[in-house]
Amino acid sequence: MKEIIMPKFGFTQETAEVVAWLVGEGDVVEAGDPLLEVTTDKINMEVEAPVDGILAGVRVKVGDVVPVTEIIAYLLEPGESLPQDALTGPVVVEAPPTGGTATPVAARVAADLGVDLTKVSGSGSGGRITRQDVEGFATGAKNGQTPAEKVRATPAARRIARERSVDLVQVAGSGPRGRIQEADVLAFQPAAADRGLVEAAIEPLPAGDYRVVPMTNMRRSIGQNLQQSWQQAPHIMFQADIDMTAVEALLVKGNHRLSPDEPKITITAAVTRAVAWTLQDHPWLNSRLVESENEIHLMSHINIGIAVALEDGLIVPVVKDANMKGMKRLNEEIRDLAVRARSNQLKPDDISGGTFSISNLGMFGVDRFTAIINPPQAAILAVGRTKSMFVPDDKGQPVVRPICNMTLSADHRVVDGAVAARFMQDLRLALEAPETMLL
Amino acid sequence: MSSAVNTFQDELARRGLSIEQAHAMLQTMMEIRAFEEMAEELFARGLVHGTMHLSIGQEASAVGLSAPLRPDDYLLNTHRGHGHCLAWGSDPKLMMAEFMGKETGYCRGRGGSMHIADVESNNLGANGIVAGGIPISVGVGLSIKLRKTDQVVTSIFGDGAANEGAFHESLNMASIWNLPVIYYCENNQYAMSMSVERAFNVEKISQRAAAYGIPGKTVDGNDLLAVRDVVAEAVDRARAGHGPTLIEALTYRYKGHSKSDRQLYRTRDEVKEWQSRDPILRFAAFLEIDSETRKAKQAEARQVIEDALTFATESPEPDVSTILEGVYA
Amino acid sequence: MRELTYKDALNEALFQVMKADERVFCIGEDIGVYGGAFGVTAGLIEEFGEERVVDTPISEAGIAGACVGSAVTGMRPVGEIQFMDFVTISMEQLVLQAAKIRFMFGGKATVPMVLRMPGGSGTGAAAQHSESLENWFVHVPGLKVVMPSSPYDAKGLLLAAIEDDNPVIFIEHKLLYKTKGHVPEEMYTVPLSDTKVVREGRDITVVATSIMVNRALEAAEQLAAEGIEVEIIDPRTLNPLDEEPIIRSVIKTGRALIVHEAVKTGGYGGELVSRIMESEAFDYLDAPIRRLAGLDIPIPYNRTLEYHTVPQIESIVSEVKRIVRGEV
Repeated sequence: MKEIIMPKFGFTQETAEVVAWLVGEGDVVEAGDPLLEVTTDKINMEVEAPVDGILAGVRVKVGDVVPVTEIIAYLLEPGESLPQDALTGPVVVEAPPTGGTATPVAARVAADLGVDLTKVSGSGSGGRITRQDVEGFATGAKNGQTPAEKVRATPAARRIARERSVDLVQVAGSGPRGRIQEADVLAFQPAAADRGLVEAAIEPLPAGDYRVVPMTNMRRSIGQNLQQSWQQAPHIMFQADIDMTAVEALLVKGNHRLSPDEPKITITAAVTRAVAWTLQDHPWLNSRLVESENEIHLMSHINIGIAVALEDGLIVPVVKDANMKGMKRLNEEIRDLAVRARSNQLKPDDISGGTFSISNLGMFGVDRFTAIINPPQAAILAVGRTKSMFVPDDKGQPVVRPICNMTLSADHRVVDGAVAARFMQDLRLALEAPETMLL
Repeated sequence: MSSAVNTFQDELARRGLSIEQAHAMLQTMMEIRAFEEMAEELFARGLVHGTMHLSIGQEASAVGLSAPLRPDDYLLNTHRGHGHCLAWGSDPKLMMAEFMGKETGYCRGRGGSMHIADVESNNLGANGIVAGGIPISVGVGLSIKLRKTDQVVTSIFGDGAANEGAFHESLNMASIWNLPVIYYCENNQYAMSMSVERAFNVEKISQRAAAYGIPGKTVDGNDLLAVRDVVAEAVDRARAGHGPTLIEALTYRYKGHSKSDRQLYRTRDEVKEWQSRDPILRFAAFLEIDSETRKAKQAEARQVIEDALTFATESPEPDVSTILEGVYA
Repeated sequence: MRELTYKDALNEALFQVMKADERVFCIGEDIGVYGGAFGVTAGLIEEFGEERVVDTPISEAGIAGACVGSAVTGMRPVGEIQFMDFVTISMEQLVLQAAKIRFMFGGKATVPMVLRMPGGSGTGAAAQHSESLENWFVHVPGLKVVMPSSPYDAKGLLLAAIEDDNPVIFIEHKLLYKTKGHVPEEMYTVPLSDTKVVREGRDITVVATSIMVNRALEAAEQLAAEGIEVEIIDPRTLNPLDEEPIIRSVIKTGRALIVHEAVKTGGYGGELVSRIMESEAFDYLDAPIRRLAGLDIPIPYNRTLEYHTVPQIESIVSEVKRIVRGEV
C-alpha cells in the first residue's frame, strides 16, 4: 500500500484545491499516471501516481481545499485491501480565511503607532486594513494635537546643547533657514545673564594678567552637575540656629573614653548621626527624583554623602546605612573616606548611592551658607561654624550657648515647605536633646 | 546494443570493462534514480525548502560521461546535476545533507540542490545559471595547460545553454588554445518549456562544433555504453593536447523542469515514448539481469538513499551565528 | 626618490609578481604585442611569452570565466578588461560566479583573481568608453573593489590584490596613467581595506576616490590660502571599507563632502554618507554631508560638456566653501 499525499508544488504553498479526479476508486493505474487535478492559487497541476496500483480510500472530493502533505488516497497492490488503521474519513478542510485582516505593512505601522487594529475599519479588498487606514485612524485619534515646535539644528549643535543644558528654542541659528550650528550654541548666554557683566567678562585682558589653568575633567563635571541642579531644581532654603550644648557635652564624654590613638569624634559625625536618625521619619528628604520616568523614589537606605574639599575640586563620598551606625563608627568612616578622597583612592562604590548630603564648612569660620543640591538627591544640609552666642534662657536672661547655623536646601519639586520645616524641627530635637535618639 | 551478434560479455571486454564494473554502473544509475525520487518525495512532503531539478530518465548520460574520467579530472556541472555528482563519486549522505540545508552537507547548507560542489574531489560545482559554467571551463582548461598536467575538464550544460552568448565565446577560446575541455551538452529536448525544435535551426546541436573547428558528436544519451565510448574518445583527444570536443547526448527528463512545472508543452505520450527507452531498464536488459535481481538491486539502491536521508535528517542545521562565514577568504 | 608614472608602476608590479610567482598570468584583449590598450602590459609578452600573457578574442564573458576557472584551480590570473564599460558583458561571471563560489560552496573554495579595468572620463571617448561603474561591484558581497589614486598605491595595491585570495575588481583611471609619483623599486604591498588620510585638516573632511583624490588635493591647496583646512581621505578599497578613519575625521571636523566621478544617484557617496550617519560621528556633524559626483547623465562627447559632467577642482573648492561657511 502506498499513501498518496497532497503534494507541495511551490515554496510557500499551504493548500491545494481538488479540481477533478481523473480516475476512480478501484481503477488500476501505472506509476506516472495522472490521478487528479488540483489547483493552487496560481496554477492547475496534476497529481501523478507514485507507483503502480489500484486506487482506494479516496478522502477528498472536488472543491475541497486540502492542506499539503495530507493523505488523500491510497494505491493498493493487487489483492491487497485497505488496512483497518488507514485514514478513510474525509479530510478536515479548513474554511478559507475571511476579510478583516490587515496587510503586513498595516500591522507593522499599527504596532509602531500603538494603534489597536480591532478598532480600525479596513478599506482594502475583502475588508483588509491598509496602511492608509491605520495612519488615518492614528491621525484622527490625535485630533486637535499640534506637533511640537521643531527646532532646526545640526547634530553637533544638539549634542552641545544637551551637554550644557541649553534650551535650543532660545538660541538663534546662523545657518541656512536659521539652522543652529555648533558655534551658535557655544556663543549662547542665557537671557537672564546681565548683559554688561557678560561683556565685561569676555573683554580680553592684557596678556600676563592672568594664569591659565586648564579646565580639568573633574572641574567640568562638577560644574555641569551643579549648573544642572541649580537650573533645574527649584531650591528652597530653611535655616535653623541650633543649640549644640548637649552635643558638645556628649562629645566631651565620648572622646574622654577613647584611647589616645583613636581620632576624636567630630561635630560632623554628630550631625551625621542626627541627620540619619531624623531622615528615618522623613522619607521625602531621603528621596531621588527620576525625571525620565516621572517618578520620585523614596529610598529605603539612608546613605549620607559628606562633602570633602580637595585641592582641585570637591567630592562627596558616601557613608552607607548611616542610620544603623553610632557616632564613633560614623566618625571613623567619614575620616577614612576623607583621607582616601584626598589621596585619590576612592572606589566608584564609595561615591555612589547617596540619598542625602551634608556639607560642613564650620572649620573655615563660615557662619552660615547655602549649598546646591547634589542631583538626583532631594536635599542637602549646609553646616556653619559653632560659635558662642548670647541667647535668652527660659526666664529671658541672656546665657552663652554654642550655636550652629544649619541651612537645608531642598528640591521644591519633591519636598514641600512644611515637610522640610518638620524635618528641621526633628533635627533640632535630635541635636539639642540627643538622648531622644535613644528612644 | 551496438552489435546484435556479440554477447554483452564481448561488448564489455572490447571496452576493457569487467562485468563487476558494468554492474557497478547499473547500481549507480539506480542510486541516482532513488536519490531523485527521494528528493521529489521530500519536497512533496514539505520537508525541503527550495526548488530542485530532477534528472530521472537521464541516468545513463551521467554515468556514461564520468566512466572514462579520472579522479583528478574536473567537473563543471549543471543545475540538473544530482546524477552527475553521484556518478562522479560524491557521497549521497553529504549530498542529501546539502539538499536538506544541513551543516554537514557538501556546502554547509549554503548551496543546496543547485550548487553541490566538492572542490577537494575537483567537483567544481553545479551552477544555477544556464551556461554559467561554460566560461569557467575555459579558465580550468587554461589552468591545466599552464600547470602542464594531462587532466581534462568536463563542462556539462543543457540544450538551452547552447543558445547563450557565453557558449560561443567559450568554445571559441577553448578551441583556439587547444584546451582539454569536454563540452557535454545534455540535450533533454526542452529548455524549461522551449523545445529544441523551436529553439534551434540546426538538426543537431553538435553541428555547432564546426563553427569552432572542433569535433562534434551526437550520441544516444540513454545508451550508457554509447555515451561512454564517445566521451572516451573526446577524453583521449583532450589528454593528447588536441583540444576540446562538443558532445551532444540525446536524452529526456521524465519530470518537469522544476517543481512548479505543469508540463503543458509536451504530451504524456511523448513521455511514455521516452520511458520505453529507459536507460536503466535498457542496461539491465543488456546485462541480461532478470527482473527479480533488478528489483533487489533497486531495493539496495533505495536503501543507500534511505541511509543518506537518515544521516541528513539527524545532522544539525547551520548555526545562525555563522551566517557571515565564507563570503571572503 | 625614483618617480614612475601610474601606468609604469602597474607594469612594474606585473613584471615583478610574474617573475616571483609562476601561478600569476595575464589575460585580456590586445595585452600581448600591442601592450594593452593603455600600455599597462607593455613588454610582458617578450619576457614571459604568450603562454602567460594570453591575448584573447573579444570575449569579455570568456575572459572573466577564464579568470574564475583558473583561479579556482590554483592559478592567480590577472585579467584585463580593455575599458571598464565592457565589463557589463562579464557581469554574470563576476557577480554570479566569482563572487559567490566561495560562499555557495560552504567556504571551501577560493577564487584568487584580479580583474583590472580602466574607468573614468576626460578622454573624449564618450558614453560607452568612460563609465565609472565601481558601485555595481561594491554592491556584490564576495567581490573586493580597489581604486588606486597614486602611482605608489597603484603598484602596492595591485600586488596586494594579486596576493589576496578573493576576486578583486581593480579599477584604474585613464587620466591617471600618465601622472607621476614616488614608487619604490622593490616589491611592496599596500594593504587592502586600509583607508588613508591623504592630507590633514581641521575644517572639513573630503572623502574622495580615484582621480578625485588628486583634484581634492589641488582644491585643498587653494582653500588653504583662504584659511580653510581640508582633511582628505582616500578609501582606496571601496569594499570591504575601512570606515574608522573616515568617522574619526568627521568627528574632528564636523563636516563632510564626498567626491566621486560616478553618477550621484546610487553612487558610492550614498554609502559613505550612510556609514557616517550611522556612526558616532552623527553627533558631531555641524552641516549636512554633501556629495559632489557625476551628473546623472551618460558622459557627453563634447569637451566642455564632458568637463562639466564630473567634479573638477573649481567645483570642489566652491562646494567646500559653501559647506564651511554654513551656506548649505
